[in-house]
This record gives sequence, C-alpha cells and structure tokens, in this order.
Amino acid sequence: MKKFSRILLRKWGVFPLWGLLILVLSAYPSTGASSIDLFTATQVFLWVTLASNWNLIGGMTGYLDFGHAVFFGIGAYTMGILVTNTSLAFSPNLSFWQALPWTGLVSVIFALLIGWATLRLKGPYFSIAMLSTFAATRELIRILRPITGGGSGLDLPPVLNRVGDYYFMLILMAIVVSLMGWIRRSKLGMSLVAIREDEIGAEMRGINTTFHKLFAFAVAAFFTGLCGAFWAWQNTYIDPDVVFLQNRNILMIMMCMLGGLGTVWGPVIGALILYLLQDSLWSNLADYHLLVLGILLILIILFVPYGIIGTLKNNNISFLELLNLGNKTKAKFK
Amino acid sequence: MNQFLQALINGLLLGGFYAVMVLGFSVLWGVMGVINLAHGEFLMTGAYLAWLLFNSFSIDPFISLLLIMPVMFIVGFVMQKYLLNQLLERPSLATLLATFGISVILANVHKIIYTADPRNVAVPYSGSFEVMGFSFPIIKTLIFVIALGIMLGLYLFLQYTRLGKAIRAAAQNKNAARIVGIDIEKVYAITAGICIALTAAAGAMISPIQAIYPFMGQPFTLKAFTMTVLGGLGRIPGALLGGMLLGIAEVMVATYVPGIGTNLGVVISLLVLILVLILRPQGLLPGLRKMQTD
Repeated sequence: MKKFSRILLRKWGVFPLWGLLILVLSAYPSTGASSIDLFTATQVFLWVTLASNWNLIGGMTGYLDFGHAVFFGIGAYTMGILVTNTSLAFSPNLSFWQALPWTGLVSVIFALLIGWATLRLKGPYFSIAMLSTFAATRELIRILRPITGGGSGLDLPPVLNRVGDYYFMLILMAIVVSLMGWIRRSKLGMSLVAIREDEIGAEMRGINTTFHKLFAFAVAAFFTGLCGAFWAWQNTYIDPDVVFLQNRNILMIMMCMLGGLGTVWGPVIGALILYLLQDSLWSNLADYHLLVLGILLILIILFVPYGIIGTLKNNNISFLELLNLGNKTKAKFK
Repeated sequence: MNQFLQALINGLLLGGFYAVMVLGFSVLWGVMGVINLAHGEFLMTGAYLAWLLFNSFSIDPFISLLLIMPVMFIVGFVMQKYLLNQLLERPSLATLLATFGISVILANVHKIIYTADPRNVAVPYSGSFEVMGFSFPIIKTLIFVIALGIMLGLYLFLQYTRLGKAIRAAAQNKNAARIVGIDIEKVYAITAGICIALTAAAGAMISPIQAIYPFMGQPFTLKAFTMTVLGGLGRIPGALLGGMLLGIAEVMVATYVPGIGTNLGVVISLLVLILVLILRPQGLLPGLRKMQTD
C-alpha cells in the first residue's frame, strides 16, 4: 500500500490533492458564504492565475518580465472596447462570452509581436524592454482617445454576479495551474528550464529556443489577457491608470519570488499569502501598504532568494519530497 | 527651416538635461554592472528636496543643489554599502529586483510625506531670451550650461584623480583591481554615492520646469536606460551623445507630429531602444564595460 501510494505520488504528484481542493472550493458558494468573502476568494484565484502565468515566462524560462501586466491591460481594454457602446469609433457591443475569446487572441497577437522583438534580448535587457513596453502601451492607450476613451476611461455595463465570477475564476485557475503542472513535467517544460539554465547549450542540443520562448510568452499572455478581461468586466470601469497599474507587475513578481521561482506550487502559495497580506495591509494602513511590500521584496531577495518551496526543496525537507512538490531540480534563481 | 532650427535648439537643450540625468545611471551600470531601476526615484527625491528648500527657505534650486548633492551622496553610499554590496556575488537580476524594491519604497515614502499632489518650484526667471531670432528658455539654457560643467568635472575627476582611476580600474577588472590593493567595496560605495548625488542634482535642476509628484520617476529610468544603451556604458561622451539624440528625437516628434505633444516620450525611447538593441547591440560608442547580452 505504501509502495503504491509512492508510485502514485511520483506519477501524479500532488495533483489529486489539487483536484480535491478544487472540488471543495466549488462547493463553497452553496454554504452561504457572504458576498464579500466570495469577492476576496475570486481575487485570490485571479492572483494565483496571474502569478502562475508570470512564473511560466519568468520562473521556468528565466526571462524576468517586468511589464507582464501589459497583457492584463490589453485584455481589459479589448474587453472594454468590445462590450461597450460608448466608444466613438465603433460600437460592437458584444456580450461577455462573445468578447472573451477575442481578448485572449488579441493578447496573444500582441505578445507575438512584442516577443519577436524583446525575446532576443537577454537578462536585464529583456526586463527593462518589457517595463518600457508596459509604460509605452499605457501612453498609447491614453492617446488613442477615439477608441479607448483616453484618460477618462470606459464604463462597462454593470453586472453583479458574485457567484458567477467566483466559478469563472475558479475554473480558469484550475485550468492554468494544472496546465503549468503538466508543462513543468512535459518535454516542453524541460526545454524551457534548459533555456533558463543555459540558452546556448539548449540551442546546441537541438531545442528551438525561439519557438519555445515565444510559445511560453504567448501562453502566459493568453491567460493574463483573459484575467484582464475578467477583471474589467467585474470592475465595470477601466482607465489607463487602474488597468496599467505598476503594482500589478510588482505583485506578480513578488508572489513568484516568495513562493519559489520556477516551481508549480510556489506561485500558488506565494499569491495566497501575499494577496491576503496585501488585502489586510490595504484595509488597515492603506497609505503604507506599497511601502511595506517594497521592503518585503528586498527582504525576500536578501533572505529567501529561492522562495518558500525552493528553500524547502533545496534542504530536502522530507514530507515535501514525499509529496513530490514540483520537480527535483533545484529551483534556481538566475 | 526656422522651425526646424528652433526644434533642433530645443532638442539640444533638452538633450543637455538628459545627458546630466543619465550620467549617474550610466556610470553606476558601467562601473559595477548595477542597473538602477530606482534612478528616476532618486531624481524625484532631488526634485522634492529642491522644492522643500525653495518653499521653506526660498533657496534657488540651482544653489540648493550644492546642499542636496552631499546629502544624496550619503544616501547612495549607504544603499550600496549595506544593500547592493551584499548582492555582488549573486546573479545580476538580484540587484535589478533590489533596486526595483527601492524604487517602490522611495516613491511611496514620498507619497506619504508630500501626498500625491503635483508641486512646482516657481522661480522668478522663467522667461526666455532671443539670440538671432531663436528663443532660448532661460532655465533650460542654465541647465544646459551647468550640465556641461558637471560632465567636464566628472570627466576630469575620473581621468586624473587617484580615486577616479581606482573607479575605472574597478570597472575594467574587479579581481585585478582587488589584487593591486583597491578596496572594491569602498570604491563601489563611493561611486554609488557620486552617481546618486548627480542624479539628485539633475532632479533639483529640472524642478522649476517639471511638475514634481511621487510617481514621476519611471519615465526617467526608462529613458536613461535607452540613452545608456545608445551611448555606451559608463562613458561621459556616450551619455552626452545618447542624451542629445533622444532629446532631439523627442522634440522633433513633438514638433512635426500633430496632436501628440511630448506625451510620446516613453514610446519613442522604447522604439529607439529596440532598434538599437537589434541593429547595434554594442551601442554607438565603446563603453567602460561590454554589455553582456547573455
């Protein structure tokens, strides 16, 4: 029996537990949870999804994307433009579900265009080029007033459906985290890690690095775009400043750093901890919450560079090894 | 033609400011490989200090920068000594993230102290004078002249003093510099102090013509990055060239593309950056340190 469970763990890892968790969570709204609790849970799912996406390009592939929230913004604005009938240029006026596929598609196209240029750059150059992309897109959105509403933003049709939001985000999170687990164990994931560890070496082993990098970038952009679209729908109002928020870049990075770069479960744990921390900071000392997060980022870099999961794995903590959280290779911060 | 020449003059004046603004960033990167993402926030700190001194003691920003520079030297020294030097042996992205953290901290500390309302320093001499039919804004011309002075001073310092030579040696080869008895960590801390002081001085100088608010820093950081890549790391002529080119490009777009004004600064700098990195990744001039693109 023990042997059987060990084989099961080796083959499937903690994914049965993950499925069980999703099942338990899907029963949560029917227990009479309050609207505000459902909202908080939805936000946690949103951040877990975002952090997992960032981890695909930043943690597994080793391209630290300092402007990943640009795809969040692209998704949000695509949704906003497609469902709203206030924009001057055209008014497609689609429903949420009709607009949703387009938001993902536009994000992917944008990612391929941007990635084609920026993914040639390595290390800090890529990071800064993406930060520039983020700031530049915000300026462009502000200038393209006839389509995007400029600085005054767009009002989306107000629809309040907390339970629907909850299930949408729960399913998206389940899909994304499972996909990341699958990618991490597949040949594709191995290739991505190989690119992170030694790009030239990976290329010499016959890995098509350009394709793999662009693929990882596009997948991360697709789901981030969906998150942005959902957020715009839920928030019912978008303008360049609330959508292209620098905090979002910082938080995505910090969640992955805290949980462990390049691990599957690191971003999940990191996002859970940091979102709840940020939420309580926000409600208790609103003015100081970003300051505290900045200090926390520096403390993480100084004292837990491998993140929670990475540190546990590097020290061969036994029960986690038994649970086979992620892969045996060290979560290396490169 | 006249419009073109006037735009060129404006571009050169803006470029002079950009050149002195980028100096700190460029030298920090060239000497110790630190890409300082908090660059714009240090500039903002300098601008706020100038505003504070102007508002409370009515000290002119161009005089108060003599007070601001020593203070910010200490700030840079402490930052390098107690934070960034701890990360020297770690991969370069660790310092990148650490400076990112510093930028968040600085911006929010200033938001708490001064609130997010934009401030401005209303100096009495904000007009312009004319030479041969072209108008020269007084403040921008003053910045241009001081910027050239600072650059000359820094050049002479790096080229001819003992400490300057030590800094250049540390940039060329860290280990060899250690062998000949240079205290690398101290030299690094002093370099960071000088760089942060210069950045804050640039902030103090720009304060009369730029609205000061806690989140003004990021565009400056991004532009500084582009200019440094353009001109080569850590070299003063490179900073001058990069600053001039970006300044002229920005003013030309603002002049000839209607309805946009100067709002496209970051977009232009992104386009220039991508073009340079794809076409000539080693920069236009040779730098103090080779850019490690891998």
